[in-house]
Amino acid sequence: MTAVIAASNLSKYYGNVLGLNEVSLDIESGITGLLGPNGAGKSTFMKLITGQMKPNIGHVTVRGRKAWNNPAVFRDIGFCPENDVFYEDMTGLEFVAGLLRFYGYSASEIKERAAKALDIVELTKDKDRLIRGYSRGMRQRVKFAQAIAHDPEIVILDEPLNGLDPLGKRKFIKLIKEFKSQGRTVLVSSHVLPEIEALTSRVVLIHQGKILAQGDIPYIRELIEAHPHMISVRSSDPRALAARFIGDRSIQKMSFGADGRTFVVETHKRDDFFGRLTGAVLEGGIEVEEISSPDDNLQAVFEYLVGK
Amino acid sequence: MTTKRAVREVFGFFFSLGRRTGKTRVFALLGLVPVILAVVLRVVLHGRSGDIAAVFTEILMVFFLQFYIVILALFYGTSVAAEEVEGRTLSYLITRPVPKPAIILGKYAAYSLLMFLMVAVSLALSFFIMNAARLGDARLYLTFLSYLGVLGLGILAYTAFFTFLGTLLKKAILVGLVFGFGWENVIQYFPGSTQRFSVVHFLKSLLPYRPMGGGGGGLALLLFRLEPTAPLVAVMILAVIAGVFLALACGVFRTKEYLYEE
Repeated sequence: MTAVIAASNLSKYYGNVLGLNEVSLDIESGITGLLGPNGAGKSTFMKLITGQMKPNIGHVTVRGRKAWNNPAVFRDIGFCPENDVFYEDMTGLEFVAGLLRFYGYSASEIKERAAKALDIVELTKDKDRLIRGYSRGMRQRVKFAQAIAHDPEIVILDEPLNGLDPLGKRKFIKLIKEFKSQGRTVLVSSHVLPEIEALTSRVVLIHQGKILAQGDIPYIRELIEAHPHMISVRSSDPRALAARFIGDRSIQKMSFGADGRTFVVETHKRDDFFGRLTGAVLEGGIEVEEISSPDDNLQAVFEYLVGK
Repeated sequence: MTTKRAVREVFGFFFSLGRRTGKTRVFALLGLVPVILAVVLRVVLHGRSGDIAAVFTEILMVFFLQFYIVILALFYGTSVAAEEVEGRTLSYLITRPVPKPAIILGKYAAYSLLMFLMVAVSLALSFFIMNAARLGDARLYLTFLSYLGVLGLGILAYTAFFTFLGTLLKKAILVGLVFGFGWENVIQYFPGSTQRFSVVHFLKSLLPYRPMGGGGGGLALLLFRLEPTAPLVAVMILAVIAGVFLALACGVFRTKEYLYEE
């Protein structure tokens, strides 16, 4: 399949600070998730694709055309920035319609497209309200509307689910998936694995400006599974609970928290541990107050992968 | 889309947006100062309009020429690029199929028209209130139009310069303040050709250098130490100033990467 977006040896520096380091990546149609912790280089990569920045080394093309200082390429691209910024004195309709003016549409077409985009994001009812009065969810949705109003082939969404409540996230994910089903290319960034997982199976892991891994979700999961997980269980009798895991070979390390009520394990087989934990709790009649994974976040996985 | 069309669309977007911003409200209110002053003076000078009205008209012109259009151009001009970067809205503009220079030119045109309208309303009200006794005199209207023309040219030249500063520098407004209210205020009183290194010199060269109302010193206060440039040359130089700095602003905006402050 031909790459819609192709980055070759792409590097970007902010003075002495490395933003992106020798990234070579082909993005095909469908949804691709760009996953990485904050400051990993996701936004830098997206700004390079959308021609907002010029690469120091290497090059990036969108449908075979360079993005920097090439206005023609933006007819095909819809970009939804991460920042929660707007022309606050505009209404939602004025904002979307105003930006549509830059595509050379007639007044009636602008009106029609703006109305359609606002309808897609369910903002028709609130289209005449000033953006400054919008809730966070509405602001995210109007930002998405301006990105899709001109019907682009490629949609680039920088952390679109940030700050949304679970219901809002679910709606947004549905919207993005619908867009994908129309055969378009969607590149979406996030620092939360389950968010990306809900959107696509195709993931690119980025950290400290470098692509660490790319592949489908099972592959990424596999990488994560290879990372020893830390699980903390707070219970009425942590030592009795720990005793039941002494002979368990899947456990690499065991310790107790300073509060005297927490039992912490490190394991490669998290699912197996949870299975056994349920049995141990039931058999021992131990009351479990809380189960948490202190390092069950991307940063820990990235640190593990970088260390590897 | 052609560059001309793109400029027109950017103009439309920012003229519509610019009318309703807090900044425009504040500067429109500032434009009421000479109007209020004119009303007060009319009441105080009731029945003694003639020469005194001419003198106060001159004072009003000092306000417009050396303060109002400079401060307007400074805040609107520097903001053409800077407010997009500081407000992080630049991403919405530069990811559209319009050439980057069209953004600068369209926004410059929108803001210049906005400023011109504010100045025109303020000048018209204050000027005609001040000279209410001569409303039947056709020369009064010609004087008004020449004042308005000078202020319009001033807006175009100053705004182009400040637009350029805004595309180039992060703290353009500080540099602009030093230029607008430091350099411009001092250099214009230097003798010989030195005063030609200010924009205001060419604007003042276009003012009618004759007594108003048949007596008094006319524009003596405003034109103090002026060694005027020929009007046609002054207009051409102002046009060149506007053109050159706009071209420079477009060039910088096209090639420069603007990074948002974290």
